[in-house]
Amino acid sequence: MRSDHTALLLSTRFFSPGLFSATFSSPRLAGEIAPGQFVMLDLPGRIRPYLRRAYSVADADPGRGEVEFLVKTIGAGTAALESLRAGQDARLLGPLGNSFSLTGLPAGSRVAVVAGGIGAAPFPLLWRALRAGGWTGDFFFGGRTASDLALSKRFAGVVAGDTYLATNDGSAGEAGFVTDLFARHAASGGYARVFACGPMPMFAALARVVERLQLSAEFSTEAEMGCGFGVCLGCVIPGRHTPYLVSCQEGPILPPERIDWSQVTGGSQVTGDR
Amino acid sequence: MTPAESRYPLRVRVGPLELANPILTASGTFGYGLEFADFVDLGRLGGICTKGLSLQPHAGNAPPRICETPAGMLNAIGLQNIGVQAFLEEKLPRLRSLGVTVIANVWGDLEEDYVAVVRALENAEGLAAVELNISCPNVEKGGMLFGNSPTATGSLVERVRAATRRPLLVKLSPNAPDLVESARAARDGGADALSLVNTFVGMAIDPETARPRLSFGTGGLSGPAIRPLAVRMVYQVARALPGMPLVGIGGISELSDVLEFLAAGATAVQVGTANFRDPGVSGRLVAELEAYCSGKGISARELVGRAHGQEPLRLDAGAEG
Repeated sequence: MRSDHTALLLSTRFFSPGLFSATFSSPRLAGEIAPGQFVMLDLPGRIRPYLRRAYSVADADPGRGEVEFLVKTIGAGTAALESLRAGQDARLLGPLGNSFSLTGLPAGSRVAVVAGGIGAAPFPLLWRALRAGGWTGDFFFGGRTASDLALSKRFAGVVAGDTYLATNDGSAGEAGFVTDLFARHAASGGYARVFACGPMPMFAALARVVERLQLSAEFSTEAEMGCGFGVCLGCVIPGRHTPYLVSCQEGPILPPERIDWSQVTGGSQVTGDR
Repeated sequence: MTPAESRYPLRVRVGPLELANPILTASGTFGYGLEFADFVDLGRLGGICTKGLSLQPHAGNAPPRICETPAGMLNAIGLQNIGVQAFLEEKLPRLRSLGVTVIANVWGDLEEDYVAVVRALENAEGLAAVELNISCPNVEKGGMLFGNSPTATGSLVERVRAATRRPLLVKLSPNAPDLVESARAARDGGADALSLVNTFVGMAIDPETARPRLSFGTGGLSGPAIRPLAVRMVYQVARALPGMPLVGIGGISELSDVLEFLAAGATAVQVGTANFRDPGVSGRLVAELEAYCSGKGISARELVGRAHGQEPLRLDAGAEG
């Protein structure tokens, strides 16, 4: 059940400046969270930011009662989380939203996971679930420069298959867009499903690829959220069959064919953590 | 305390509307109530104000719709709602079964639209009152246009008054040129109580792109940032219209905020934006007010208007420093 959990910060681990993992003790949440779900995180006693921030749960260990988040510091909310010290409390409202769907995925089939930058955040837990179900696949991870891919260290031993890297400037992996890298492999990859998370321009490009190749896909969308549980109606995304999809309630995991990409303006729906 | 007050120390009357306690939740920040059932015992609240209901379902504005600001936020949701029929069929029966005191917030483009929604609600079971939203800054028509003119306010309230026997609250705009005149017009039109205040029109601009952060351009400012402004407005209207029941709204998130609005002259309050960051806040405020009143041996009713009569105060002070 959704609840507002008090959670103790156990440790943080930095992959590069402003790119880190935060692990909290939160036994109930650790036992309830499904891949792709998120929490609204609050740091009590602070004035700024005023609203909570949404974080996908990166990994959960029910045995140890721990949940982990992968975070890139981009504004007031993430900066406040970066400054939290081990032994201090946060509040985690969750589990919120729907989850990546593994039902109907044929036994032993292969999947593709496509991440752009900090969009890699929800995928350790998804890979854990895929491994547990005996599925394998490939991980496509892109960023602007090599420093965006520092998180690839977190995926060592996590991916049940091969990892392919791309950067816009060619400073790590292949030069170019991760969506183009994925498209080349997808044509012959035999992927039964594509799971993706990243900025809206990446999603828009990927939506064209999966439509052309007729691949089943699930995107972890993230519009700026005020509440995270379907009340403020701030996080809407233009829909193809209804005017708007409420990202926190109908998603955050949405199939690309439900989104009206012609109405998604470049980057404006990407989370602003100011 | 009267004997009745000592038995039910939190009970208040907002005109003809009897409330178990003065803690309500504000329209637009509490969905249709049911979204909060995991976090709040809804039946223990004084009541809830629904998302603004229109005759037809309404899609709202294009994103981006919200933007955080210092100690608050701007929103331009644009009154997205499921429409009055869906509310009556899908939401109200479940609220009724939970014992929730429901205040239906209503809006429209034209006077006729408001009247039609109020008529649709008139015979519904389990509705305690109607609140007219004449103060939404985020729609092209209706909304704040009614609230900004005392004449339009008076005319609309009169027509709605004629269409309903239910307790009628009117939610006023802090953006009105003369709030006291608008309040007077709503009272004279037949309002039983006034909800003060809706959001303040504001704007945020992205310094890099120089474009407004909200697709609507402007938005309504809410949260703790507006509380002193709202307290002043409640105080001012309480003084200008003695005896008129007022419901205070604006940045309430702690017990001391509730006490402040009651002291200013509000008989009840609505918790708004705080519901977003802490979905359990309204229930906690009921418990805290209960503990406060029993600790002091005082009723909620006795907390109302205590700031009045402690002055002289100059309400126009501040403008000239």
